Amino acid sequence: MNDDILLDVRHLTHVFPLSKKIAVKALDDLSFQIRRGEIFGLVGESGSGKSTAARCIMNLYRPAAGEIIYKGVNICDPAQFRTHRKMLQTTRQLIFQDSSSSLDQRMKVCDIVAEPLKIHRIRPARGSLRAEAEFQLRYVGLDAGFLDKYPSELSGGQRQRVAIARALSMEPELLVADEPIASLDVSIQAQIVNLFRHLQQEHGFSFLFIAHDLAMVEFLCDRVGVMYHGRLVEAAPAKELFSSPVHPYTQALLSAIPIPDPRLERARQIRQFTEDPENFQGVLTEVSPEHYVLMREGEHHG
Amino acid sequence: MSSQFEIVGIRPADAKPPVRRQKWYRGKPLFAAALLGLIVAGCLGCGYIMTKDPSYMNLSNCNVAPDREFLFGTDTMGRDIFSMIWYGGRISLFIGAAATVVSTFLAIVFGALSGTAPEWLDTLLMRLTDILLSVPNLLVTVLLQAILGEANVLSLSLVIGVTSWTSIAKVVRTEVRQIRGSEYVIAAKCMGGGFFYILRKHLTPNFISSIMFMVVMNVRSAIVAESTLSFMGIGLPLEVISWGSMLSLSEKALMTNSWWMILIPGAFIVATLLCITSIGNYIRKKANNTQSNL
Amino acid sequence: MGRKNPLAYFGKKCLVFVFSIFVLSLAVFYISRLAPGDPLVSYYGDRVEKMSPKEREWAEDKLGLNDPLLVQYVRWMENAVHGDFGISYKYKMDVTEVIASRLENTLILGGLGFVLIFVLSMLLGVLCAWREEGWLDRAICKIGTVTSCIPEFWLSLVLILIFSIGLRWLPSSGAYSIGKKDDVWDRIVHLILPVSVVVTGHLWYYAYMIRNKILEEVRADYVLLAKAKGLKKRSIMFRHCLRNIIPSYLSLMAISVPHILGGTYIVETVFSYPGIGTLSYESARYKDYNLLMLLCLMTGIVVILCGILAQMINEKIDPRIKATEEAEISEVKKR
Repeated sequence: MNDDILLDVRHLTHVFPLSKKIAVKALDDLSFQIRRGEIFGLVGESGSGKSTAARCIMNLYRPAAGEIIYKGVNICDPAQFRTHRKMLQTTRQLIFQDSSSSLDQRMKVCDIVAEPLKIHRIRPARGSLRAEAEFQLRYVGLDAGFLDKYPSELSGGQRQRVAIARALSMEPELLVADEPIASLDVSIQAQIVNLFRHLQQEHGFSFLFIAHDLAMVEFLCDRVGVMYHGRLVEAAPAKELFSSPVHPYTQALLSAIPIPDPRLERARQIRQFTEDPENFQGVLTEVSPEHYVLMREGEHHG
Repeated sequence: MSSQFEIVGIRPADAKPPVRRQKWYRGKPLFAAALLGLIVAGCLGCGYIMTKDPSYMNLSNCNVAPDREFLFGTDTMGRDIFSMIWYGGRISLFIGAAATVVSTFLAIVFGALSGTAPEWLDTLLMRLTDILLSVPNLLVTVLLQAILGEANVLSLSLVIGVTSWTSIAKVVRTEVRQIRGSEYVIAAKCMGGGFFYILRKHLTPNFISSIMFMVVMNVRSAIVAESTLSFMGIGLPLEVISWGSMLSLSEKALMTNSWWMILIPGAFIVATLLCITSIGNYIRKKANNTQSNL
Repeated sequence: MGRKNPLAYFGKKCLVFVFSIFVLSLAVFYISRLAPGDPLVSYYGDRVEKMSPKEREWAEDKLGLNDPLLVQYVRWMENAVHGDFGISYKYKMDVTEVIASRLENTLILGGLGFVLIFVLSMLLGVLCAWREEGWLDRAICKIGTVTSCIPEFWLSLVLILIFSIGLRWLPSSGAYSIGKKDDVWDRIVHLILPVSVVVTGHLWYYAYMIRNKILEEVRADYVLLAKAKGLKKRSIMFRHCLRNIIPSYLSLMAISVPHILGGTYIVETVFSYPGIGTLSYESARYKDYNLLMLLCLMTGIVVILCGILAQMINEKIDPRIKATEEAEISEVKKR
């Protein structure tokens, strides 16, 4: 089974120094795995360290401790990173939250989509870079008319599609999406999530999907991890997590989802969650197959 | 592509609405461009215009006021000013352009370096530029000239370029600081773009509009610097004809009241600078417009 | 983070100042000695060529030119702390004396120019902004563009040509006629041309900046409110807008000091006005190290002080601005 694991994050810790004396622990002993062809969702409130984790995985931050093993390479080790640089840069791709700032305003769409190919001087499979860009655009649902437009002429959803096309043009094995739908309207969000699902089925890449919209995560992901203050408090297959959450934080989080049925919605009770430090100590323990919960040893949450 | 999959809510790109035709020359500094073109063309093609050999010292015709034969008169060494203007203009304009190239290149590299460097290095570099700025330019020029030996066209352009890059570098640095945190630069970094790739593809296009005006103005100040230095006797020597070195004879001209030796080269300098300024102003207005529209 | 305690604040500024001066002196010291040329020539004149090697060595020893550069620098520094900046090779006097004899002239020229620019630019700026795009505004801006294209030295030449040679109204060079050192009227006559060149060289640029500042201020919402209250245009302009501009005006003027100083140097050389400008030009040409050193340091101190002053004013106005350059850049961009 070990070969199956594409990305293995082990005891990752990252600290942001605010000043000489104060430091914020953005990630605290975070561990999870992503298998090949799996969609892993990472949820949590804002400031819980989801984006930091994504950036560590993309080598944008150097973590303070812990290691990240990607395809057998420890990418936190500078020497190993250098030897495998090309492989890492071509097989991992990142999608940002805000498409308006992740696309260069002064480049045309076709240049943006073909940019990674140009950087790595890859000969496009479909003749010219432009043809390649057109193909990738069609894949994400935009036609050739968009090739010569500038990002400022597109809508938010169209821009996000362009960003996805750019990431996919390298045919990545791991796609990291850092809240890709948070800045979009609800209807567009559904379109994009559908698109992700479809693309993942077509390409079969592994996908780290970061969001705070629980409904979308439930719909899209195979497995879900819940983060709180830089720690992973619970990780389980999506169905199981949403049907039987164990950790009190997860329970509180799930109880906050509105139910699209007025009668049930009226009866819904939002569980209060107290920041009891007791809840955030201990180790991840397997309570049922594939279901891990952060707890002290020998203890069970009601 | 799978057929069941349907894309919702995407409309094809609209055809561009017809743009109302405007007079193309509206608001453009046509007169300035034409005059500048005329001066540049005259200087480049000086061989066809010149009536005399500009460096020939005709000692029997010193200090001749403008007349039929010597259109702009002759200087104290008997050289024909009309020919010297076009011949020397080549060198003045060349120094203006070359010094600007040098200073812009330095400014972009230094500014981008300082902008992408960690905080402490950035502070150090900027302090250094401040200190460099506080040494009088005149002094730096004299020193550099002394190190490089006898002044010639290339060394003078180099010296002027080296002493005039700081203000552009500061603008570049601020712009780079703003741009480098943006996500498209991070994305390019993730995709494996190196420092120079990002500088070329992302940073430069984004700050070019804000420094364009300053670059054009740098051509202007380089021409001024050349003429000032040559006038003071620390730039080009008398034998190398340029607008500035022509003016270095002006002290003698003042004694003999030969106004043409001072007014004519100066008028050419001022006209060139005015043209460059109005073109620069046009560029600045255009750059500001596009920025506010984005 | 709250307001820091003022003592630490000024301490930090002083530290930055001292450090900058130190680096500056080191840089000037090294660069000036790297340059080829023989300082002995300026001390002994043509006699140097006739010296035997032994005499040469003795002379170099006497001036301390044989030691390693670092030793020379340390020795210079030691003496400088005690107020001894060495002697000028060319004038054979203490450099402080040489400079003191000239300083007064430059201060009069530069100071007069600065005050005139200071007052007139505000006046012109307000005049321009009073009726935006009116004929007066457009005329002043046009004149400003044209004068900004005239090199200062050429303007000086033209003025000399007209007023000294053509009309014979004003003298063309020097700070005073021979033997009339204390004649105030004579001095004023000599100052007219240089001062007008210094002022025209810089006035328009600053007037234009102030005009833009005012126009920006006039677009603010509070002006609309004041207008709605029924205040007169004049009282809005002078009571509100101008008062808001004054800090940035002061910082602008602090930055302008070095620029005006640079202009003064050139003007001094053209008019053979015996001031610091001509002196530094001479000292650089004749490799008069000690003199050059002190002149550079003085200029540097003025420039750095003005920079720090401008930065402090800016931080006072807007705590977010941490460095002068940002302010300067925004100035440049708004132009």
